[in-house]
Amino acid sequence: MDHEPITIDVEGRSVTASPGRSIIEAVWEAGHVHVQGVGCLGGVCGSCRAIIRRADSTEVKMVLACETLIEAGMQVTFVPFLERLSDHPYQIDSFKDTWQLVSQVNQTFPEAAHCRHCGGCDSACPKGIKVERGVNLAVEGQLGAAGDIFETCIMCNLCSHICPEFIDPNHLGLLVRRVVPSLVVRPFNLMQRLNQLERGELYFDYEAPEASTEERD
Amino acid sequence: MTNGVPYETAWQNYQTGSSDPVQFDDSSKESLLKQFHPDYQTNTTTTLQIGANQGDVCQRQLAQVLQSNSLIDEVDLAGASIVDTDVLIIGGGGAGCAAALVATENDARVILTTKLRLGDCNTVMAEGGLQASVGVDDTPQQHFEDTLRAGYFKADRKLVSQMVMDGPDVVRWLIQLGMQFDQESEDPFASLSLKRAGGTSAPRILSFRDYTGLEMMRVLREAVTYRPGIEVWRSKPVVELLSNEFGHCAGAAVYDMRHRKLMLVRAHAVILATGGIGRMHLNAFPTSNHFGATGDGLVLAYRLGAKLRELDSFQYHPTGVSYPRHLAGSLVSEAARSAGATLLNGLGERFVDELQPRDVVAASIIRECEEGRGIDWDGQVGVWLDTPRLEQQRPGILQRFGSLRHLAHKCGHDPAEKPFLVYPTLHYQNGGVVIQRNGSTSVPGLFCAGEVTGGIHGRNRLMGNALLEIMSFGWRAGVAAAGLRHNAPHRRLTIEHVHKWQRELTLAGLPLDNHGPQLYPDYANFNLRAHIAGEI
Repeated sequence: MDHEPITIDVEGRSVTASPGRSIIEAVWEAGHVHVQGVGCLGGVCGSCRAIIRRADSTEVKMVLACETLIEAGMQVTFVPFLERLSDHPYQIDSFKDTWQLVSQVNQTFPEAAHCRHCGGCDSACPKGIKVERGVNLAVEGQLGAAGDIFETCIMCNLCSHICPEFIDPNHLGLLVRRVVPSLVVRPFNLMQRLNQLERGELYFDYEAPEASTEERD
Repeated sequence: MTNGVPYETAWQNYQTGSSDPVQFDDSSKESLLKQFHPDYQTNTTTTLQIGANQGDVCQRQLAQVLQSNSLIDEVDLAGASIVDTDVLIIGGGGAGCAAALVATENDARVILTTKLRLGDCNTVMAEGGLQASVGVDDTPQQHFEDTLRAGYFKADRKLVSQMVMDGPDVVRWLIQLGMQFDQESEDPFASLSLKRAGGTSAPRILSFRDYTGLEMMRVLREAVTYRPGIEVWRSKPVVELLSNEFGHCAGAAVYDMRHRKLMLVRAHAVILATGGIGRMHLNAFPTSNHFGATGDGLVLAYRLGAKLRELDSFQYHPTGVSYPRHLAGSLVSEAARSAGATLLNGLGERFVDELQPRDVVAASIIRECEEGRGIDWDGQVGVWLDTPRLEQQRPGILQRFGSLRHLAHKCGHDPAEKPFLVYPTLHYQNGGVVIQRNGSTSVPGLFCAGEVTGGIHGRNRLMGNALLEIMSFGWRAGVAAAGLRHNAPHRRLTIEHVHKWQRELTLAGLPLDNHGPQLYPDYANFNLRAHIAGEI
């Protein structure tokens, strides 16, 4: 294995670190302060968004800095948390009538119908989600299929930042996923247990033999 | 540590496999833990010299931050602006969000402050699931007993009983908020799928794929963001709690990272929901925790006089990644073992019942490695987590484990072809701040919820009880804190308790130049004083 240090460019600073380091680890190893835009360090929180260009490529890519390993000559700019310009606030319990569900979703995200099919959201997604397809399905009213597409979304907001129509695709995706359980899912075993609890049928014994041990003081 | 079986030999042994049926000796659990679990090693603990737990045993690194001096002094408060609210919540994870939603439902104005962003927390990383007794063959009583037994009967029964009885309601609340759980079929009335956690008497784990915490957190985050009455502050770590003339909690001193200045929040009630300590890397272990898990809440609460418990008890999750080095500590969910994946040493042999409680499994792995039966891969030592044979036995099962496959991809292998090399990783703080059923602490005005608290898990936590705990106690603390909103406003906002603390430090001969809480891990090169001064 090659153990020669690697130098990358981070926001105009030259950062040198050991090979096998992620972008964030490299910045730390080089002694720089970096405490915002760092989250789970495991690729699920969407905090450490960065824009990179590799030395041998003309392509500019959006990645998560916690799971992108440094390569010689890589250029990196972090994407800080941006206050959202457009916003689609809603209360989930305002969705009550399932017959009106599709129109209410579309009223909440009116820009979704204006999708230009530019593919910007797809190229921005660090998780490879077919964002544009999900948006289009939601507009058509195929809420289940749309929701499935957003199943692995980490809510990093990169698709929302890049969308020229301010659709906020990931938030739309989360809404179509949320309305299903909120309005429709009523699992049998859970309902049965809740009924038992309401009727006071479950006796609780604090001092059951299985709940105690002789060592207990 | 001996280096163990070289990788190539171990790989041969793995492929050959061992045909012997395995008998595990359960009689020696206690001596196994004493000999190999990090909690039980005498050189890892010390005795606290000052504070409400004076004389108690405490992990050594934790003791150092608990007995630290404040990051700020009186002079820093001069000129700081004051903001008023009913409830101040510190921490943007699951417990903080649950508390915020419930507090506003109870008509309180809420400020939720986090040193990172809303949702940068351990909740979002929880893979396994949430325990709630909804199975036909299961009862809250069994959940109660399993939790107590796993924690060596050291847990507080009144906290555990309340939590297990809250379980089904928690699940209903989450479904109403829009969280999805795996069900037995596509039918919306189909029962919730149940998996069995190590050390439990019935299948009780509810999950969504193997990223239950992500599903929970994105729903909670959206709900909190859009809820009127909750103001979310990001990049604003709390550096000290504030006390009134009676020593009650009256708010907090918050550092605004963007404007590099301190501000004071006056609140009728403060809820600490700051999570755990993984990023303190106790006993030099890697961790599965998120970047902000530096134990700030414990330090702040202890300095204000709150009583803590089980300060020498931590959970090392058995299956953290060991190779490659840069991913060390990343978690392979217990869901893998729950589904039937086994652990094998360098000789290709099983050495423990994989569904024993986590402390036993972790100690067994450490034993295998210390006794030379681990696998040495380029200096990284561990044991195999056998995902390929799981896939052979249950074809297609790995498809359900998105997080596991993603991690394998980062490790550079196909989990259906090659096993993970795993070693225990620092995962959870079993103890914490002593609370009552409503989340109140021994300091009036100060509430706690989530991992920062102690008493629910005793000395060992069951898989799935953390996600339940943060919801159950987040609610309870939210209600109780909101109940204080009609109290008269605090007349004085002071750090008198810090001055008293400094006198105690001096009397005990402890250094005054050791400052805490840590706020961010050392390796991120942050220093509060330098940051205020604009030097970094």
